Amino acid sequence: MRDHYSEFISRGAEIVAVGSDGTGTFQRYWENEKIPYIGLPDPEKKVLRLYKQEVNIFKLGRMPLNCVVGVDGRIRYVHFGSNMSDIPDNETFLRVIDQINASSN
Amino acid sequence: MNPDLITPGELAPDFELEDINGNLIRLSNFRGSKPVVFAFLRGFM
Repeated sequence: MRDHYSEFISRGAEIVAVGSDGTGTFQRYWENEKIPYIGLPDPEKKVLRLYKQEVNIFKLGRMPLNCVVGVDGRIRYVHFGSNMSDIPDNETFLRVIDQINASSN
Repeated sequence: MNPDLITPGELAPDFELEDINGNLIRLSNFRGSKPVVFAFLRGFM
């Protein structure tokens, strides 16, 4: 998503990435990878629980979860990953954002 | 599918957290202005 951030910005959207790591780990990663969007450390797992990101103990970790929230604050798209690399491509997100923008104009 | 999981159409649960730069991010602050792509990172527990 990093390399396509400008496409999200040009559509008036924002990207927020939440993770269970602490602030220090997050900052280092954001700096090293030069990630331009918002990084939200959630070591207490407040948001992760709120959105019920699933933990698969057999796969030793959290399954990817992605969603798009519309301008009206409602969930417009949600994808629960079935394995660690099951993440929708950027085109999918951009299409949803285009639909949101088309319906709010 | 677990019926408790978030579904399209429902109001996104609001929250407030500090980002890596110490800015307070509140989801509902985006309401009325921009769509938000939310990525929950993979990670261990």
